[in-house]
Amino acid sequence: MKFFLPFQFFLFSLTMLGVTAPQYSVINVPPPPTKYKNIQIDGLTFLPNGKLVVCLPSGEIFLRDLKSETWELFAEGLHNPLGVIALSNTELIVTQRPELTRIQDLNGDGKADDFEVVTDQFGMSGNYHEFNFTPVRDRMGNYFFALGTGSKGDGVRTITRGVFNPKGRPGRMHSSAPYRGCIMMHTPKGKTIPYSFGHRTPNGLGFDLEGNLFVTDNQGDWVGSSKLFHVQKDHFYGHAASLAWKTGFDGIPIKTDIEMLAKMRSRACVVFPHGTMANSPTEVLAISEKANFGPFAGQLLVGEMNKPRIVRVMLEEVDGELQGACIPFIDGHPLGRGCNRMAWAPDGSLFIGQTKHTWAGGEGIQQVVWNGKTPFEIQNMELTQHGFKFTFTKPIKRKIAEDRANWPFKRYFFEYREAYGSPRSDEVNIEIRNIVVSQNEKVVEIELAELKPWHIHEVKIENLKSQTGEELTNNYIAYTLNRLLEETPPDPLHIKKQEKN
Amino acid sequence: MYLYTKILIFSLLFFLSLKVYSESRDEIIEKGRELYNGAGSCVACHMQDGKGQKGTIPPLAGSDWLKESSARSIAISLRGLAGPIKVNGKKYYSAMPPQLLFNDEKLAYILSYVNNAWGNKENIITKKQITQARKELPQDVFTPQTLLKRFPFDKKYSKKNGTFTPTYDDTLGEISSPVLYRTFMPGASPAAFAVALPGNHYYCWDAGESRLRYVWTKGGFIKANQAHWSSNGKPVAEFNGTPYYRAQTTLLKNETFEELSKTNMQKPIYDTSQAVDFPILIEGIKEAPSFLGYRLMDGFPIFRYSLGKHTITELIRMNSEKTGIKRIFTISPPTKMTFKLTPTEKASMHSDCGKIKPDGTLSLSSSESSKFSIIITPKE
Repeated sequence: MKFFLPFQFFLFSLTMLGVTAPQYSVINVPPPPTKYKNIQIDGLTFLPNGKLVVCLPSGEIFLRDLKSETWELFAEGLHNPLGVIALSNTELIVTQRPELTRIQDLNGDGKADDFEVVTDQFGMSGNYHEFNFTPVRDRMGNYFFALGTGSKGDGVRTITRGVFNPKGRPGRMHSSAPYRGCIMMHTPKGKTIPYSFGHRTPNGLGFDLEGNLFVTDNQGDWVGSSKLFHVQKDHFYGHAASLAWKTGFDGIPIKTDIEMLAKMRSRACVVFPHGTMANSPTEVLAISEKANFGPFAGQLLVGEMNKPRIVRVMLEEVDGELQGACIPFIDGHPLGRGCNRMAWAPDGSLFIGQTKHTWAGGEGIQQVVWNGKTPFEIQNMELTQHGFKFTFTKPIKRKIAEDRANWPFKRYFFEYREAYGSPRSDEVNIEIRNIVVSQNEKVVEIELAELKPWHIHEVKIENLKSQTGEELTNNYIAYTLNRLLEETPPDPLHIKKQEKN
Repeated sequence: MYLYTKILIFSLLFFLSLKVYSESRDEIIEKGRELYNGAGSCVACHMQDGKGQKGTIPPLAGSDWLKESSARSIAISLRGLAGPIKVNGKKYYSAMPPQLLFNDEKLAYILSYVNNAWGNKENIITKKQITQARKELPQDVFTPQTLLKRFPFDKKYSKKNGTFTPTYDDTLGEISSPVLYRTFMPGASPAAFAVALPGNHYYCWDAGESRLRYVWTKGGFIKANQAHWSSNGKPVAEFNGTPYYRAQTTLLKNETFEELSKTNMQKPIYDTSQAVDFPILIEGIKEAPSFLGYRLMDGFPIFRYSLGKHTITELIRMNSEKTGIKRIFTISPPTKMTFKLTPTEKASMHSDCGKIKPDGTLSLSSSESSKFSIIITPKE
């Protein structure tokens, strides 16, 4: 028996480390010549002319000509820029701590000379955790950006910006300055409003191809496990502190009855199971027409700071709401940790900027290139009447797929509670009732003994091979089953009252 | 006569006692020379002429590592030095073991000799210095890197000998073009600017209240930015100087910059919605200014903000004599207005448009307001 142990351990380590399909290669991009040694990338995009744009914690913005492989400094002096969009070759929109800022090179010398406030109509307590994340712009010209809450790791400064609100001050993560913990909208007419509430560390906004807005959030107080939300106006997504700024909300958010908060709460369309899928999700990037990245167009990529991983998200509309599955995609070495910002290069490859800011993460810029050949992956996971339908990118070996033992399904949920994180609750294995493999052997329908709404359903498919003998690259997938195709019972709220001592 | 004899005797006794308890410089060096050249001692490697051995043992004669710091040679002798070391621009690969054979007194003699032999002209090292170092130094063998971290070369010199690795703030020693950071500054809202002007005057401008907060010149530009940039962004910048001008606001009493750097308050002293004492007073305008952004002109930021229907810009440069700052304002549309400066004994202030009253008030006509300057210079 002992003889087998090292081998088993080896297999175990491999699955823990994560793998990327061999059709994708990860390349290191030389770092920008920052005056400061730290190469953390907090903003990353491309100019219309194809130059790469990166923002660093030092407040510098560099441009890289991918053809001549040279860097040039575009701007400096910014305060923790955490996201950038390019409006033209000479005009950027950046979120930095105090503002949403328009940065322009007006005299055409290649260096920015005008820094215009697009909006600063939000507060700052001066707490380090009050990050200002990722601007995005919708088709109507509205800007959205995401305001982090303050951390209990520190208090507030002696002079704060915007009306100080003591009601938002208590709690692990706080919101004593206007709109911390909100997604903000700034309209073309110049109005800045809190668009949605209940965010904790919303490090990463992004649109899908239909124009739906999404944001991630990091596990912590009120956030049982990290999440992806479909951002809708005036919705509340669970982190209590920012309710201090919601019109019509009275009282101190964290002292509000949790049942009332749970009833107000909009559910995440995808929950990233903590520890196994993602611990600190970052930016959302749709696999667009621009992308040259395999048979996954329309799906979303989500970065992860904690592990060397980029997660793929597939969504569907069920009972009027979006929900779906997440799966590791670009995973493990040579991908670095800290994948924070992503963008499609002109050639359709993926550029990634990595950061850490004292948390788990990494530094640097990497590029992921697809070689045009089909990887063996789960292309899609969809809800059916009694289970799930898996579509694979290649025909699979029928016999393996038909073996129920190869589909160890589990389900569980994360509690809604003020305390940090949440254990998995009501975790049980689910029996497989039936397996049907399609004629073309690319689709497998799994019928489960029970589908439990408002639970995460996950499976780590075992032994599955393509007909050409390839192993399934990523076999761990988790579907956030909020709603059933029909007759969804009401949200059971899943609250956990805080035991106060 | 008797008195003189007495003085003479006492003086003689005094000098005699000195002789007993304190050796002359030459005697110390001589004792060191004997120990250095003893069998199996320093001389075995570093050689009698102190020139070391090419590629392996670095020279002591004229070694740049001995310059202006006895601490380095004490540390090397007590703890040893591992790893290649560059001395006077040349690399040497042998490691030096800690010198366990010599007690503190003997080591002091040897190092004093080394410091003063072969044309070296450094300090005499005392037994007390060695004893103290033996107590305080970390136990690990030093590497050139850890040694320099603890006992860095003089900046000017390290630039010459190639061991200089600049921190970002070092590159700002002499400001030749303006430097601007947006960062957390003490005594300002969290939306602050720190700007360094050529000529080494520095100021803090607060976008949270659209106003100049303070100006200083001595002590260098802000520090702690490396920490700010590498970490979660928490540190508030520090500076060494004392502002020669600091705009008054009645909401702050006599808090020190240290107190104003606090980040762990339960609630603020005040928030910007309560801000008062905006320095530009225009009749009929009660609302607070609103920051609009800045434009760089030759690297100098021109801040712009709105106050009611007026757009105001402020550009801060050195005055023509390079003795202080010149604040250049434009107001559009122009209007009759009053500017309130904070009078201080540390600086003199004047304007190119009228006289600043002792209470710091400058009254401007509508036409004057379209462009005016205020010059603030520190008093020596």
